[in-house]
Amino acid sequence: MSNAPSTGADARSARWRAGVGRVVAGTTLLAAVALLPWLSGTDPALTVLRARSADQDPTPAQLAAVREQLGLDAGPVRHLATWLAGLPRGDAGVSWVSGEPVLPQVTTALGVSVTLMLGALVVTIAVAALISARTLYLGSRRRLRRGRAGTGAAAVAALPKFLLASLLATLFGVWLGWFPSSGWEGPGSMVLPALALGVPSGAMIGGLLDQSLPATLNETWVRTWHGCGFPPGYLARHALRRTLAGVLPQLLPTVVALVGGAVAVEKIFNIPGLGRLALDAAVAQDLPPLQTATLVLVLLGVAAGLLIQAVRRALLGPALRDGALPALHPPALPRSRAARRAAGFCALALFTLVVAGLLRDPLHVDTAARLLSPSAAHPLGTDALGRDLLARLGHGAVRTTGVAVAVTVVSIVVGLLLATAGKVSAGLTEVMSTLPAVLVGLLTTAVTGPSVWGAAGAVCLVAWTPYAAQAAALLEQERASGHLHASIAFGAGPAHLLRRHLLPAVLPAVLRNALLRLPTTILVLASLGFLGLGEQPPTPEWGRLLLENQPYAELAPWTVLGPACALVLLSVLAVSGVASGRRASLPG
Amino acid sequence: MSLTCGGFGKAILISSPTMRTTFRSLLTAIAVTPLLAGCFASGEDGSSPGAGAGPAGRLRVALAVPPVQALSPYSNDATVLSKLSVAEGLTALGGDGAAAPALASSWAQTNATTWVFELRKATFQDGSEVTAESVVNALDHANAAKTKPRVLSDVTLTAKAEDADTVTISTKTPDPVLPLRLASPALAILSAKAYAADGTVSPVGTGTGPFVITKLTGKTGATLNRFDGYWGGRAKASGIDVTWIADGTARANALRSGEVDIAEWIPTSQAKLLDPDTRHEVPSVRTDSLVLNTAGGVFADPSLRAAAREAVDGSALVDSVFGGYADPAQGLFGPAVAWAADKRVEVTGRAKAATPAQVRSLTNGRTVRLATYTNRAELPEAATVLQQQLEKAGFTVRQDVREYTQMEADLLAGRYDALVFSRVTLLDTGDAVAFLASDFTSNGVYNIARLKDTRVDQAIASAAKEGDTAKRQQLIMRAEAEILRTDAVVPLVHEKVVQGISADVEGVLLDPRERSLIDVDTRLK
Repeated sequence: MSNAPSTGADARSARWRAGVGRVVAGTTLLAAVALLPWLSGTDPALTVLRARSADQDPTPAQLAAVREQLGLDAGPVRHLATWLAGLPRGDAGVSWVSGEPVLPQVTTALGVSVTLMLGALVVTIAVAALISARTLYLGSRRRLRRGRAGTGAAAVAALPKFLLASLLATLFGVWLGWFPSSGWEGPGSMVLPALALGVPSGAMIGGLLDQSLPATLNETWVRTWHGCGFPPGYLARHALRRTLAGVLPQLLPTVVALVGGAVAVEKIFNIPGLGRLALDAAVAQDLPPLQTATLVLVLLGVAAGLLIQAVRRALLGPALRDGALPALHPPALPRSRAARRAAGFCALALFTLVVAGLLRDPLHVDTAARLLSPSAAHPLGTDALGRDLLARLGHGAVRTTGVAVAVTVVSIVVGLLLATAGKVSAGLTEVMSTLPAVLVGLLTTAVTGPSVWGAAGAVCLVAWTPYAAQAAALLEQERASGHLHASIAFGAGPAHLLRRHLLPAVLPAVLRNALLRLPTTILVLASLGFLGLGEQPPTPEWGRLLLENQPYAELAPWTVLGPACALVLLSVLAVSGVASGRRASLPG
Repeated sequence: MSLTCGGFGKAILISSPTMRTTFRSLLTAIAVTPLLAGCFASGEDGSSPGAGAGPAGRLRVALAVPPVQALSPYSNDATVLSKLSVAEGLTALGGDGAAAPALASSWAQTNATTWVFELRKATFQDGSEVTAESVVNALDHANAAKTKPRVLSDVTLTAKAEDADTVTISTKTPDPVLPLRLASPALAILSAKAYAADGTVSPVGTGTGPFVITKLTGKTGATLNRFDGYWGGRAKASGIDVTWIADGTARANALRSGEVDIAEWIPTSQAKLLDPDTRHEVPSVRTDSLVLNTAGGVFADPSLRAAAREAVDGSALVDSVFGGYADPAQGLFGPAVAWAADKRVEVTGRAKAATPAQVRSLTNGRTVRLATYTNRAELPEAATVLQQQLEKAGFTVRQDVREYTQMEADLLAGRYDALVFSRVTLLDTGDAVAFLASDFTSNGVYNIARLKDTRVDQAIASAAKEGDTAKRQQLIMRAEAEILRTDAVVPLVHEKVVQGISADVEGVLLDPRERSLIDVDTRLK
C-alpha cells in the first residue's frame, strides 16, 4: 500500500499484484469446487444417480456402476487435470448426469444470463437516474437546501426480487397478458424479469448515488463554475462524472452478480440461465458443468472488474493520477424533518409489531384457520397452516435482524480490511463478487455439515465484496487527495492516517451501503435453508416467512405483505435512523 | 446461436479500456445490445408465444420435470416418452392395472420362466419395420445399460427372436409380472438407430408412437409432429410443442395466461387460482406417510411408535396442507389402486400406545429428529402440523428440512427418527410388490424405516411368488397389514394430482400413475 502518488514502477507492480491476486483467488475457488464431491461426504454416485432417475434404487451395484462410469475412484486431482487439459481445446468435458458436452450448455446459459443482466442493468440505470434526478437537478442549480434521508430508495431496495418477480408475472403475465408470464422466447420475455431484477438494484445504486451527490455539488469548483455562469446541465454532467466513479464498483456485486445469482427469478420466469444451471449441477454434484460455470463466473467477474476500473479511470483519470482529488465530504445540510419522522414512524411500527407479536404464539398450528385474512383475532392474518402472522413476525424480528446485523458487521470488517490491503485484494473481490451465495453455502455445508451458523458463515464469505469494492474505490480517491499528502508531509504515520483520514472518509458511505443491503442479507440467509443451513422450521424468521408464503402470494397476499412490509420498515428505519443520528452527532 | 450469444456477452465487457468518449457511448451500447442480441431459446419456428391458440391443431404442453439425459428411456425422462405417446413397449398398462397389448398383439406363458410375444405390424418413425430382431436389440440394450433401469433391477431378461414377428422372453427366476414390466417406458422399443456405440439412447425420431420428436432444445423445450405411419391410426392433433417449466407457479401461470393448453402437476397452492373448468384432479398412486426409524433412537420402542401412530392424524392435512387435493389415508394403497379397498386386511396385533406421561418418561429427554424435504412443497408444511400433533402426545420434536439429495445419504444411513415421505406405491412395473420389497423387507435398498420383521419379509415374499393377479393382490394386502402392524410407517394421505387442461382441449388422459397424458385422440376442440 503506497500513500505516495504512484510512479510508473509502482503502477506496474500494483498491476502485477492485482493480476497475481486474481489468479490465486480464481485458482483457489476452482480447486475448492473441484473438491466438492470429496469434501461433502455425500457420495457423488448417489447424487448423480438421483439426478438421473428419481425412482432408481441406490443399490451398491448401481452406485458402483455410476462410480466406474464416471471414474470417481481416480480422485479429484485427476479429474481437475483432465478438465483443465481439455479447456484449451474448447472441451469442458461432459456432464456426469446427462453425458452431454458441457461447453455448449454453459455458453447458451451464459448468453441468456448476460442478456438478462444487461436488461436488468438498463432498468438499474433508469431507476438510479430517477432516484438521483432531484438532487442532481437542484444541486446543479445550487438550490440544494435540505438533505435527503433516502427513505424512498431504501424502501424500494428492500423489495425482495423474487416477490417482485411473482407479482409482475401475475399482474402483467396472467391478468393483463401484456408480456409472457414465463419462458425466454423473445425480447418480450425479458421485460418482466429485467424489471424484477433491476428495480431493487437501481434503488440500491440510486440511493448510494443520491447520498454522495451533495458532497460533490458542494465542492468549490461547482460554486466557481456556477458563479461563472456555466449552464446547470454542464455542471450536472461533471458532478455526475465525479460521483459515479465512487459508485460504479457497486455494479459488480449488484448487477453483474445477477448472471449467476438470479436463481429465484430464473425459476419464477422459467429462464434457462446460468444460475439455475450452476445450482442444479451443484446439487447433483455434477462437477464438469459446475466447474465450467464457476470458471465462467470468475472470468466474468474479473472482466467486469477491469471494465469498471477502466471506466473509473476514464472518468477520474488525470485527477486521480495527479493526486488532485479532494475527498468528498458531505455538506452539513439541514436534514429534512421527513427523515426524522420516517425514522420515528418505522421505529414505532416495528416496536408495536414486535411487542404485539411477542405476546402471541408463533408456533400454534390451527389447520381450520388456514389463510384467514386480517381480522381482530389475527391482525395480520394467518398463513397456510393457520399460524398467526403477527406472532411469527414479532418472534422472528430479533433473531432475523440479529443474525443479519452480525453478518453485515463481519462483512464490513472483512471488506474494509481487504480494501486497505490494496491491489492484491481487488482480484479476490472480483472473483468472489459474482459467486452465488448458494454455491458457497454448498461448499461450507460440505465442510461443516448443516448447522445454524453455517448460513451466516456462508453469507459472510461472499457478502463482504460490495463493501470491499466500495471501500477500495473510496480509499483510492482519498489517498490521491491533497490533504492526505499534507498530513504525510507533516509526518503522520499509517495509524494516524487510517484513524483520522481514511476511515472517516470511507466508513459513512460503506455503512449506508450496508444498511441498504440489510434486507438482501436477510433473504440470502433464508435462501440457504434448503441446504439445511440456518434455523430449521418451524422457527419464525422473516426471510423464511417470505419464502414459505411465496406460493400463496396471489391467493392470500397478506401472507407476504406482512413480512415484506417488515423488511421495508427495517430498511427505512436503518437508513433514516442513521441519517438523523449522524446529523445529531455532528456538532453544530 | 448459443455461441454467438456467449461471445457477444464477452465482447461488451472487453471493449477497449482506452476508450475516452467513455460512458455515454458505453451506456448507449449497453442499452441497445440486449434488444438486438436476440439471445432467446426459440424463434426459428416463428410460433410466437402469448395469448391465443398455437398453429393449427398443435397442442402446447407444459411439463414439470426437465429432461436430465436428453430423453433417454433409461432415466427419469422415460415417462415423457409415454406421456407424449412417442415410444411404446411390447405391452401397455391397462386401466385395470393389468397389461394391455401395445407393440405385442398377444402373448402367452409357456412355462414358469418363458413367455412368447406375437408382434403386430408396426413401423418405426425412421421408416424401418418393427421386427423381432429390433425388439431383441432394444431389450438387450436395456439389459446392458450402465445403470440398469429400475424396472430390471430385480430380474434378468433374455430375449430371443423366434421368427420375424415372434419374440421369446425368458427370465432367470419366475417373474409373474413380466407383461406388466414390459409396459415400463424404460423398456420402450426404439429402432436400431437410437442406440449409439457409447451407450447413449436417443428417442428422437426412433419411436413407434403417434408423435415423433423432431427437435429437442436442451432442457427448455421440444417439438413433436404427428407420425402418420402409426399403426393405431393418425393422431388427431397435428403436433405437440413441449415446454418444461420446473416451477409449479410458473406452470399454473402459463396455463392461466393461455400460453399453454395443458400444464401438468399444478401445485395445490395454485390449484384454487385456476378456472374450475381447467382444473382436473386425479387420485394419484402417491401415498404420503410418516416413516419411523425402527432400528435406533426413540422409535425403536414399539409402544412409542404406536403412540406416534395414534397421535398423528393425516386427515387434518387433507383440507389444510393439501387444500382438499388428497384423500385421508386408508393404508399404504389409496383409491388410485382400484383393487386395494375391497381386499384390505384388518390390522391386528399392534403394540399398545404409550400415554403422553409414559412417552415423556420413555423418551427421557431425547428429541425426535423429524426429517422431510423441500422438493415437494406440501411436505414441510405437513411436517409442521405433525410436529404439533406429536408434541401433544408427549414427544419433543426437532425438524430437519432440506433438499432431497442433500439428505438422502443420511436417510439411508438411519440418521433420523422420523421422515415425512411421499412415495409412489406402484413403481414402473405397475406392481405393488416392488415398492413393498424395496421399502420394507430386511434387505430392501430403500428401507428407510430399517424394518427387520420376519413376518413382513415372509408376507412380501409370498406375494412376490404369486402369479395369479387376484391372489397376488390379496397377498399384497396381507403384506400391507403386516407392515402396518409394526407401526414402522404411518400412512397420512393419498395425494391427488391436479392437471391443468384448457377448456379448448379434449381427450387428455388423467392417469393415476402419471405415465400417460396425450394420445392419438387428444385434440384441440
